[in-house]
Amino acid sequence: MSTILKIFVFPAAMVVMCLGVLTILGGHITPGGGFQGGAMIAAGLIFCLIVYGLKESPFNLSHDFLSAIESIGALAYVFLGLAGLLFSGFFLYNLGVDLYHIVPAPIQAIFNYSDPTNAGIVPYLNFVVGLKVMVGLSAIVYAFLAFREYGEEAVDEPIEEIE
Amino acid sequence: MIIYYGPLIFGFLLGFILGTRIRINSESGLKFNASVYLIFIIVAFIIAYLLGPFPYYKDIPLANGFLAAAIGIILGKLILGREKIPQKTQN
Repeated sequence: MSTILKIFVFPAAMVVMCLGVLTILGGHITPGGGFQGGAMIAAGLIFCLIVYGLKESPFNLSHDFLSAIESIGALAYVFLGLAGLLFSGFFLYNLGVDLYHIVPAPIQAIFNYSDPTNAGIVPYLNFVVGLKVMVGLSAIVYAFLAFREYGEEAVDEPIEEIE
Repeated sequence: MIIYYGPLIFGFLLGFILGTRIRINSESGLKFNASVYLIFIIVAFIIAYLLGPFPYYKDIPLANGFLAAAIGIILGKLILGREKIPQKTQN
């Protein structure tokens, strides 16, 4: 890739990621949400991967990191649903808003997101979906690049003839 | 003035997670020094001002989640983003 791209892309990718974070955080009041924001963050990571390549990319996503964030995202979603089931009897009940007035006030205070719209657990769900989508989409590109790079290395190695 | 902590905390958290992944390869020819992050934070301030706050948010005239994410990226890089030591991969 050209030198201009190599200078420009890293800061630009960080700006794209911040926009993705903003899209996740505004999911309950503006267009967007966890999936869209996560895809934008993944776009920043993929931007770096394409321009710098797998080995020189400034964002280094290890396999452990990818699997940990993916698991945290999925489990947090399930636990938020189970918390609703535990305290109200309904899976994924919005404990922070408590429309039916069946949840104790301390529990409601824990699950209420601090913002003027009184959104309850919806921003938390956006957050965990964003984590999962970010990792999922970047893992696909990471895997394709790795297959190509290490696959070519394997082809370049001399093959021993079987006698 | 009421400060809404939700976007600040979660924006910072997401930015921090991303910032910890910034690990420049020590054998690479690429050098990203402090000026890159300085320019990034100045640009982030300008973009946050131009974006403005979310609807119904009247605490500060900035996109506070955007700014929190930018600060999170830089702090994540400073605290946990070490230099990457290349390892030989095994097929």
